[in-house]
Amino acid sequence: MGLFDRVFRGSDEMYFKAESELNQVIAELGEDAPMTMPDTAYFLACIYAYLGKKVTKLGELKEALGELRAMMGRDYHTKAIFDSGIATACCAEVIEACKYARTPNPYEGTQYHGHFADAEVRELGVPLVTRDIPGFVVMIGPAPSVEEAVETVKGYQSRGIFVFLIGGIIDQVHSAGMATGFKVRVVPVGADIWSVGHVISLVTRATMIFGATEPGDADAFHRYTFDRIFAFVNAYAPVTDIVVACGAGAIKMGFPVITNDTDDMWAVPKSLIINTNTKDWIETSLEARDIKIKITNIDIPVSFSSAFEGEIIRRKDMQIEMDGSRVDCLELVQTKEAHDIEDHSITLEGPDFDAFEFGSKIPIAYVVEVAGKNMQTDFEGVMERKFHSYLNCIEGVMHTGQRDMIRIRVSKASYDAGFRAKHIGEVLYAKIKSEFEAVVDKCQVKIYTEPEKVKELREMGNAIFDKRDERLRTLTDESVDVFYTCIMCQAFSPSHVCIVTPERLGLCGAVSWLDAKATNELDPQGPCQIVPKTRMIDERLGRYEDVDEAVNKYSHGALEHVTLYSIMEDPMTSCGCFECICGIEPMSNGVVIVNREHTGMTPLGMSFSEMASMTGGGVQTPGFMGHGKHFISSKKFMKAEGGPGRIVWLPKALKDQIAEHLNETAKELYGIDNFTDMIADETVTEDMEELYTFLTEHNHPVLSMEPLM
Amino acid sequence: MATNNTFITVEQMEAATDALLETAKAVGADTWQQRVKNQTPHCKFGEEGICCRICTMGPCRITPKSPRGICGCDANGIVGRNYLRFTAGGAATHSDHGRNIAHTLYLAKPDGNYQVKDPEKLIRIAKEWDVPTEGRDIYDVAHEVAEIGLMEYGKPFGIQRFLKRAPEVRQKVWHDAQIEPRAIDREVSQSMHMTHMGCSSLPEALVRQSLRAGLSDGWGGSMMGTEMSDVLFGTPKPVDTTANIGVMEKDMVNIIVHGHDPSLSEMVVFYAQDPELIAYAKTKGAKGINVAGVCCTSNEVAMRHGIPMAGNFLSQENVVLTGACEAIVVDVQCIFPALGPLSKCFHTKFITTSPIARMPDSDFIEFHEETAGENAKKIVKMAIDNFENRNPDLVNIPNLKTTATVGYSTEAIKKCLDGVTNSHVDTELGTTKPLIDCVKAGILRGAVAMVGCNNPKVRPDTAHIELMKKLIANDIIVIVSGCSAQAAAKAGLLSKEAKELCGEGLKRVCELVDIPPILHMGSCVDISRMMILAADIAKDWGIDIPQVPVVGCAPEYMSEKAISIGNYVVATGIDTYLGVDPYTKGGPEVVKLLQGEIENWVGAKFIVDTDIEALGDKMIADIEKKRAALGI
Repeated sequence: MGLFDRVFRGSDEMYFKAESELNQVIAELGEDAPMTMPDTAYFLACIYAYLGKKVTKLGELKEALGELRAMMGRDYHTKAIFDSGIATACCAEVIEACKYARTPNPYEGTQYHGHFADAEVRELGVPLVTRDIPGFVVMIGPAPSVEEAVETVKGYQSRGIFVFLIGGIIDQVHSAGMATGFKVRVVPVGADIWSVGHVISLVTRATMIFGATEPGDADAFHRYTFDRIFAFVNAYAPVTDIVVACGAGAIKMGFPVITNDTDDMWAVPKSLIINTNTKDWIETSLEARDIKIKITNIDIPVSFSSAFEGEIIRRKDMQIEMDGSRVDCLELVQTKEAHDIEDHSITLEGPDFDAFEFGSKIPIAYVVEVAGKNMQTDFEGVMERKFHSYLNCIEGVMHTGQRDMIRIRVSKASYDAGFRAKHIGEVLYAKIKSEFEAVVDKCQVKIYTEPEKVKELREMGNAIFDKRDERLRTLTDESVDVFYTCIMCQAFSPSHVCIVTPERLGLCGAVSWLDAKATNELDPQGPCQIVPKTRMIDERLGRYEDVDEAVNKYSHGALEHVTLYSIMEDPMTSCGCFECICGIEPMSNGVVIVNREHTGMTPLGMSFSEMASMTGGGVQTPGFMGHGKHFISSKKFMKAEGGPGRIVWLPKALKDQIAEHLNETAKELYGIDNFTDMIADETVTEDMEELYTFLTEHNHPVLSMEPLM
Repeated sequence: MATNNTFITVEQMEAATDALLETAKAVGADTWQQRVKNQTPHCKFGEEGICCRICTMGPCRITPKSPRGICGCDANGIVGRNYLRFTAGGAATHSDHGRNIAHTLYLAKPDGNYQVKDPEKLIRIAKEWDVPTEGRDIYDVAHEVAEIGLMEYGKPFGIQRFLKRAPEVRQKVWHDAQIEPRAIDREVSQSMHMTHMGCSSLPEALVRQSLRAGLSDGWGGSMMGTEMSDVLFGTPKPVDTTANIGVMEKDMVNIIVHGHDPSLSEMVVFYAQDPELIAYAKTKGAKGINVAGVCCTSNEVAMRHGIPMAGNFLSQENVVLTGACEAIVVDVQCIFPALGPLSKCFHTKFITTSPIARMPDSDFIEFHEETAGENAKKIVKMAIDNFENRNPDLVNIPNLKTTATVGYSTEAIKKCLDGVTNSHVDTELGTTKPLIDCVKAGILRGAVAMVGCNNPKVRPDTAHIELMKKLIANDIIVIVSGCSAQAAAKAGLLSKEAKELCGEGLKRVCELVDIPPILHMGSCVDISRMMILAADIAKDWGIDIPQVPVVGCAPEYMSEKAISIGNYVVATGIDTYLGVDPYTKGGPEVVKLLQGEIENWVGAKFIVDTDIEALGDKMIADIEKKRAALGI
């Protein structure tokens, strides 16, 4: 039997399964029963993407299934297997959706993840752009042995590849005690092959969110996934027809399939690769999808990978802890003269981890001293803020906070593997030297664990931080000569351009004006380009000819005008990985802001996902705007419409996080004390009318502002 | 300057030609379009191949009332003899081209007009021919290889050396069918001898010799031409160029190179880039010097230097009709004698260079390998001097220009295919295996080699272009050469954007391998490249060539060379589809042999159908049949 016949048979199988599942659930619930997937604004995303149909009822799903059947061509041209493959993936989504039609959380209490929330999709934006996640693998198993399953999954994990597991391999890795979950980037999706529908749903949503792809324009989806989503499939033998059919869909999307099944299997270069040596799959796969892993060779006894960034270390697994809230701690970058630095010198003053008992809390200070002809003191803070991500990438090390308020935990397993204080220095040295090579010529790390010395250093550090904060406070849009573009996201969101100013950081929250400046310095041809600000058109809106020219140029003509301070007139676009989205609340003439982490409703009757779907992908939608958390307390936040005084509702967690700065700003702008008390949250109401009552009761300043529209 | 169009239709090209014909009318020039009218209807006896004028007893023509010539030869004998002579003419022409190139290689010197540009390829051939290479000066090797090559034309014993490149099973087929070509000149001479009055009239013998003469061309003279051109001028690699009449530049000195032999055009291209001559052109009011090509000379310089392709065989008068052609410089083959009188209607210099192609109304600057530089420089200067004679009122350069990626030699194709291998699975590089895998899996259904000329009997370029579009839409990859390649280039089909016209399988292959769906393999002698590619595919696959789902097609051919090609392509085991009848209709036994029984000898045959749509359907069906036979 040829490859084509296998695809045809497999797609028939998936279709008939979908048909029977759907008929059954319709028999139970009726055609008018609602069909919604949780925490998404994209309906049944595969069907929405490829057919352009918004399924909200079971009856509509039935219609869609009919269209999927019609896609399954049966002539012997590649189009037929490609279309059948895509339709097979959509049928997989139908089968899974039937479960969600009955209950919103069918996988609760199981080892499976099932459906991905929009917030999870968005969370992938930044790491994808920075190539911290260089690709995705869908592993369909079981692997030949438990050991090999674990080894391969860990191999991917250590290379930063996001792993989706389907089928028997899930039991295999769990039986070996491996931790899985979205945070550690190993997701056990489901037991059956149709759970692959959730992965394709995630992929199509990423395409809509970051690529502003028009639902129903199937070709645009294929182009985006082929060009920009670096996924691939590992399918262990025996590979059944239904898996072959799914594989055809994957290949159509641009995702090669690697298998060890040689029975009735047909190799296709760069698409369907047969390699019976499953131990060699990682490298085979990366080569097949042209994924090049940035290798940082760091001399430490444990793994180092972005996949460990989300790793949580619980108290019982913790060998040692450094906690700035209990003992003295400090992390600091200092610029020195080159002759004062011995490159790659790592010193420890005080006892090493061995000297402490299991579960101890110890003080620590690590000072990274750098020198370089192009080094500027402004970059010290930029580097320091990367420490969090550097140290978190160490297997068995968890890092939170910054400056003197850090907390680091080292797991027992990593300690047993030989991880000691100097290894923190090795990691910081290696990363600083590789990521800041354009400005750092020499680097040394000094680590201290002597309580007295650390205390002394902490005081010195805080004096430096105060000075730095003072400098930051003087950095305003008016006080600097240039702004910067940031087009780091263009790999995924080709027509989006951020304009980063001192008072408006990038919407992802990851790029401040200083970061952009440093990035420009490190790579003058890179994503952050200088935007002069000599030709102002309108101060209130923050409209500059220079800015318009820059967005026009870097969006390749997709954008003509962008204002810096308005959400109503030519607001800045979003890539899709924004931390927060704000949208106007028509009753009060205020705005509601919601952050990605908040899964609940807002008074607009829309969740984060739904609001987020209004913008993103470089599209301008007046009244909606994506932005970073820190921008909320900026005096420039919707300055054209009256500033942050327009904010009427925030999720509580976000409100608490930004309260201090926002209150300061409100005091300065409006003379109001404790402004955040006037802002409602989900504990107050999620209803528009109740919100209005609340605002009136609290005499919110928005009520005296001009109407927004 | 013409703007680039992604795709250009036949209708757009015809509209442009119509505008140029208006100019022709205005200046009183004669054109092929008019001459076709004058010559129509054509002689029926000639068309059917049943006119014999081999001796002076005739001419004899076969009719129902007079079924035999004066000597008693019947229609099949006459058709067979004419067919063999036609083939011999083509084989002689291609092979003589190859001989000239071999001769040029023999004269190559480190500081001479011609050097060895691809020593690696030279060494490969030397090893194949048991020529010692270790520690030897590369020019010594070149001269020995060239001499051996030249000997292939007249050696008294043995068969062509290049036959060993074919799969062993194919070599045996040739041996068993008694069609292994011996010395090239011998096969041509014997063909002439066999067709002399009073020699062969047995159709089977005449057809067998046609295949053998053809093979002496494809696996002899043409292959020599290709291989040694590569040694001298470099093996083609993918290069971007532009195509169609709009490549001519209004403000520049336009020099058109036309013909087949790259020895001359290489030199012209070199001197057109000479800063001194460019400066000289500027003193004459031109912005620079623009060399563009017509016919196979164009293919040769396009695939090695990215020189723009102005047009193919039936475009040769158009370049003069633009009124912006300072010189049309020709070497050999497919040059209309009409260019002489036509050039006289304009300022254009018609420069002939070869003693083989002498024509009235031309400036003859005889081109010698030894003085090639001087000759070329003189030609370029002559064109520059002619710029000021241009009549601006007659200038009309149609705004038709496409982009093309050309230069897919067999070596280049394999290199591209290396790009899609996986080092963890594919242990060997430089093979055709990735292509074979695509065909086996069905992602590609097969391949078609589209070749051949234009012929006014077919709406020019239409058959080439429409068939190519049909094939690529059906996931069939196309390789092209000669005027077929230029038809594709003119239409935009050699651009990578042409993937948008493909079926999904071929489109994906184009994207992954980063190639256009139609691969330009060179000029008409370069059909030998296609033979090597087919042979390598068969070897990599472990089957014989006729089993490979590949066919050949010449839908608009006109020359004797094309028939010689057809014979060697079929003899190589590749079914060959013709869109023009080869003057055989009057000899049913010959037709039966060519379009039927030779399949038993060589595993392939000719298929003739002047209905282009049907021709395409038959090719696709043939490919599917071959697939089914392989169980794929």
